[in-house]
Amino acid sequence: MFTLLKLIQSIIKTLHSEGTPGQVALGMALGSVLGLTPLMNVHNLIIFSLIVLLNVSFGGAMLGWALFVPIGFLLDPVFDRIGAGLLGAASLRSLWTSWYNTPLVPYTNFNNSVVLGSVVGWLVLAVPIFFAARWGVARYRATIGERVRQSKLYKAVTASQVYNWYRLFRPS
Amino acid sequence: MRIRIFRWKAVGPLLLLFIVLAVLVFLFAEPVARQTTEEVSTELLGTEVDVGRLDLIPRTASVDLGALQVADPFEPRRNLLEADRIVLKLNPEALTEKKLVVERFALQGMRFGTARKRPARPVSGRGFAPQALKAVRDWGRQFDVPLLQLTPIDTLRQLVLNPGQLVTVQAAQALLARTDSTRQALEQGFKAVDVTGTVDSARALADRLAATDVRSLGLDGTRQAVQSVQQTLKRLDAAKQQVTGLERNVTQGVKLLGTGAQGLDEARQKDYAFARSLLKLPSFSAPDIGNALFGKVSVDRFQQALYWAELARHYMPPGLLPREDPGPKRLRASGTTVRFPKARTWPAFLLQVGQVDFSIAEGLLKGDYAATVQGLTSAPALYGKPMIVSARRNAPGSAIAGIDVGAVVDHRASTLRDSVAARLRGVKLPSFELPGLPFRLSPGTGAANLMFALRGDQLRGHWSIGSNDVAWALDTARGSRNDLEQLVWRVLSGLKQLDVSADVRGPVKSPTLSVRSNLDQAVAGRLKAVVGEEVAKAEALARAKVDSIVSDRVAPVKQQIAAVQADATKRVTAERQRLDQVQADLQKQLERLTSGAVPGIKLPKIKL
Repeated sequence: MFTLLKLIQSIIKTLHSEGTPGQVALGMALGSVLGLTPLMNVHNLIIFSLIVLLNVSFGGAMLGWALFVPIGFLLDPVFDRIGAGLLGAASLRSLWTSWYNTPLVPYTNFNNSVVLGSVVGWLVLAVPIFFAARWGVARYRATIGERVRQSKLYKAVTASQVYNWYRLFRPS
Repeated sequence: MRIRIFRWKAVGPLLLLFIVLAVLVFLFAEPVARQTTEEVSTELLGTEVDVGRLDLIPRTASVDLGALQVADPFEPRRNLLEADRIVLKLNPEALTEKKLVVERFALQGMRFGTARKRPARPVSGRGFAPQALKAVRDWGRQFDVPLLQLTPIDTLRQLVLNPGQLVTVQAAQALLARTDSTRQALEQGFKAVDVTGTVDSARALADRLAATDVRSLGLDGTRQAVQSVQQTLKRLDAAKQQVTGLERNVTQGVKLLGTGAQGLDEARQKDYAFARSLLKLPSFSAPDIGNALFGKVSVDRFQQALYWAELARHYMPPGLLPREDPGPKRLRASGTTVRFPKARTWPAFLLQVGQVDFSIAEGLLKGDYAATVQGLTSAPALYGKPMIVSARRNAPGSAIAGIDVGAVVDHRASTLRDSVAARLRGVKLPSFELPGLPFRLSPGTGAANLMFALRGDQLRGHWSIGSNDVAWALDTARGSRNDLEQLVWRVLSGLKQLDVSADVRGPVKSPTLSVRSNLDQAVAGRLKAVVGEEVAKAEALARAKVDSIVSDRVAPVKQQIAAVQADATKRVTAERQRLDQVQADLQKQLERLTSGAVPGIKLPKIKL
């Protein structure tokens, strides 16, 4: 229940943040990698640093993460097949061999079929996610956004202490 | 409005996050590493591995492990190995490539076969080791190790045989079905050849020509007649070849049925043995007795050696092809992790040199021990040398001669070669129960040898123990003993010397086991003298009982096989004779035609 409430809070705050639809959408596209790929991997630390450092919507990133976690679980068999196919491709063997024997690169776990498949899957999906999210946010703000902003629920959410922390990372 | 790319004010919190992460790593790296080591080792070895303490020493790229226990996968209440301290010096350059290269390895306080405080938990899951353990246990079960039956012989009156239990009956039914299908197949073969049509047309031509005056045909008519004779002869030749092919099929089919009939006799011998086993008659055969007394303990030894060899074969594959392993356990799917070995680089795991030197000052095991392990690696082709293990004990002045263990695991080429040889002198041999008997054997202090070699899929193993200090104990918990058990007890308890040797050889999947001991002849001779006559009578009764059930079912099958054999052979012979006869007649007509057309000139005979 708490997770659901946090998700609703995140959605509301993100959709009404001062960021442009493009910033929210970029945040969601970057955040989706945290959900689509196994979390405890080096590439996710890099992506998280980018989310924090780049002027994208942090809430959008968290929203993307939350939304894509279940999708990631669902798509694991597909990612496994994609990754296994790529790792087994004879034409790519010399590339993988070179990476596998290069310092630090093996710590990315690129040689795991689910990690590789999910990262490749995210690279393919990132652009559609970005455009779909940008269109959705712009459409929301143009239609029902103002009515939600005036609602009691929105005011209750934005008045919470958590929101103050969130404001630190909101896009300027 | 111009949007800025970077959010500089977030640098501080991000750095703070990294610092927190670093502190967490510092605080929890060792417990996590210890737990991971336990989990991974347990999964890899298929037996519980406990690490009491793990210290990471980054300055020297070393790991200091304490209170290591490796449970025996075949005996959960015992440790295979226990060590007070192990220090591993790792190669830092290889670590940057996520590879574990142990440059040096020092071990202190090593003990073998110690009792565990609590039994090891069984390892389950989809990992290789649990599957290998199960496969090796199944492998051990394939050996037909009989029990030495010492129950009273009057149980023979209870012999009741169900025909469904007898393999001869099953084999006879199967053979009957096969005989039917063979007969049908041969019938179809005869129909397909259609010799009758060819013979009839050839016969008609021969008869027509015989009734014709050659001079009346003229040159053209003679030429046409010669041509049609030649064509018919070719058709006859083709029919003869078909009959030859059919004859081959008949021979093969008949041979198979003959083999099946022989199989019935062999099946009957098995049924005799089965009926005999129901009577629980004691065996007088020395090899059977050796097998019954020491077969299980021998198989246990070979099973253990095979298990470690199978693990070595799996974890030390030959060649440099990419190698797939299951991915790490996590909430998300594990997937597959692929290793990509490359020439002149580090393997994913390598123990270059491990040296263990220690002394035991007091007790039976006192002496100086020295052991080395070289080249334990996940990629033998990269390391380029076989793995060598050796262990030796020198105990000058002691009654104990020593321990000598050597193992070579050569997985550099596609034909894998694994061998281990162990010679133990003056060691306390473990006591064991005799299967199915209320006796326990304590070999005392003696000698033991084990040789085990796997070359490709060919297995060769030899295990022997010898002692002059044997003690026998009765299992009093099993109540009173019958006359036969008392007899065998009298034989065994008088023996102080023990020599057992077991050999296993052949393909790994179906090797043969032979066990011999100095007790075999003694027990066999004594049993035969006392109960030989009664056993012979019981065996005769068992055979008669089997025959009474089996004969009625086997005789009709054999008759049917004989009938199919005779009929098929007769038909083939008859067809061949018909073809030969008509061919000879046509040949004669051909000669008549050609001599009539060109008198005085002999045309060459057409060879068919």
